[in-house]
Amino acid sequence: MERLRRGGGGTAPPGPAPSRLRRRAPLLAAALVALLAGLWAGLLRLGFDLPALTTEHGPLLVLGFLGTQIGLERAVALGRHPPWPYLVPTGAAAGALWLIVGLPASVGQALLALGGLALVAVFVAVHRIDPTWHNAIMGLGAAAWAAGAIVWLGGVAIPRVVPFLAAFLVLTIVSERLELSRMRRLPARARRLLLAAVALFCLGVVLSLPWQALGVRLAGAGMLAQAAWLARYDVARRTIRMSGVTRYMAGALLAGYFWLAVAGGVWLWSGALAGGGFGYDAMVHTIFLGFVFSMVFAHAPVIVPAVLGVALPYGRALYAPLALLHAGLVLRLFGDLGESIPAWRWGGVLDEAAILTFLALAAGLAIRARRARRAAPATGPALGPSASMQAPRL
Amino acid sequence: MPGGAPGLAALVEDPSPELVRELLHGVIDPELGVDIVELGLLREASVSGGVARIRFTVTTPACPLSDYIEDEIRACLAQAPGLRHVLVECELDPPWKPADMSEVARAALGWSD
Repeated sequence: MERLRRGGGGTAPPGPAPSRLRRRAPLLAAALVALLAGLWAGLLRLGFDLPALTTEHGPLLVLGFLGTQIGLERAVALGRHPPWPYLVPTGAAAGALWLIVGLPASVGQALLALGGLALVAVFVAVHRIDPTWHNAIMGLGAAAWAAGAIVWLGGVAIPRVVPFLAAFLVLTIVSERLELSRMRRLPARARRLLLAAVALFCLGVVLSLPWQALGVRLAGAGMLAQAAWLARYDVARRTIRMSGVTRYMAGALLAGYFWLAVAGGVWLWSGALAGGGFGYDAMVHTIFLGFVFSMVFAHAPVIVPAVLGVALPYGRALYAPLALLHAGLVLRLFGDLGESIPAWRWGGVLDEAAILTFLALAAGLAIRARRARRAAPATGPALGPSASMQAPRL
Repeated sequence: MPGGAPGLAALVEDPSPELVRELLHGVIDPELGVDIVELGLLREASVSGGVARIRFTVTTPACPLSDYIEDEIRACLAQAPGLRHVLVECELDPPWKPADMSEVARAALGWSD
């Protein structure tokens, strides 16, 4: 049992603990810098004539932005006493900043690998408290991060590292959904089916290094199987019937599962990562934009308050960037399939616009909530996230 | 009010544990749309001498929502008359298990389908 934390606090309306915010805000700021730098490099790849501030794209977005964010989430969960789990987001953030400023890449890659190894250690600690399949799979995702960063450091080109980067995020997300599936009464075989799908995916990821075509196709089949499982058994199928933020989150999750299935199909069909081109673009962006960023949009109303202590009230406007993200990806995929450069390019621009719109909208909602809380009388009803989330009371 | 005169505070009657528990139904997991009491995450809600002591857990040690839930608990209990302090403790061990959910939560999440 953890010791009693932070007594007092009285009955004043709550706000984020200042020390909590101070400790975490620099890491989130670094994650934001990694996101913006990665998006900038994305515009360069889409063919826009812009200053080349950084050439890195995927590693900044996957390990720099999402690695820092996910590492911070785990550090928040485990890192109060002692704070060593903060090594995860610190390694990811430092590695990303190192790469952005253009210092020798190997040090930045090593820092990213250090973050991944620290995340593996986090899951060893988690597994000691709660030895479950979902925690083990989340640990496999952490191992994929570490392995990907290490093989990149060893000189393997990013297209061949992509399966490991994808595995970090797919396994992290799928394990969270498996954990939440305990809220539903599922047949015993359902969880065994997901474990088989995860095993197939992991096998493909590992084999993609020595035998690219076989490994990529197996990983694609594993993604398809995981998407089918999520579409059939995930709790989002139930919570889409609720209202407010719960319904919004479920909608974003189900849209993400659709893109996981599309990605699986594209990986299964293509079987090749090296060489770039339209096929590679479709393989990478269906998984990282369609699946992963859908999950980011879905969970932001929960994760922002959890990590920063800043209320992010739900507003129906959150559907707008979500719709833009998926519309942009559809256009981009048409561009990839038809080898149409304008469709590919403007689809990519729409996706970047969706991410920036989401950020701006979230910041606006959070600032408005903060002002409302400050204006509220100290003795009045609390205007905490629960008041503004509009989730149904049961 | 933290630091208020204890003599005066002692004259104000403690809110009942039932009222505290009722207020904590307002702490909702946004993704599931179900509150922490029905999900079985609340482990203790007691009041003594104007001090509420709340113990809760999360569904997995990897879950980052403990600070969020703590903030929400404080927000909900801000409405309770007679409370001077709220002590909130998150415990990870023993881990939460599905059997901790109430019938209400199970029905909301489709166990009866």
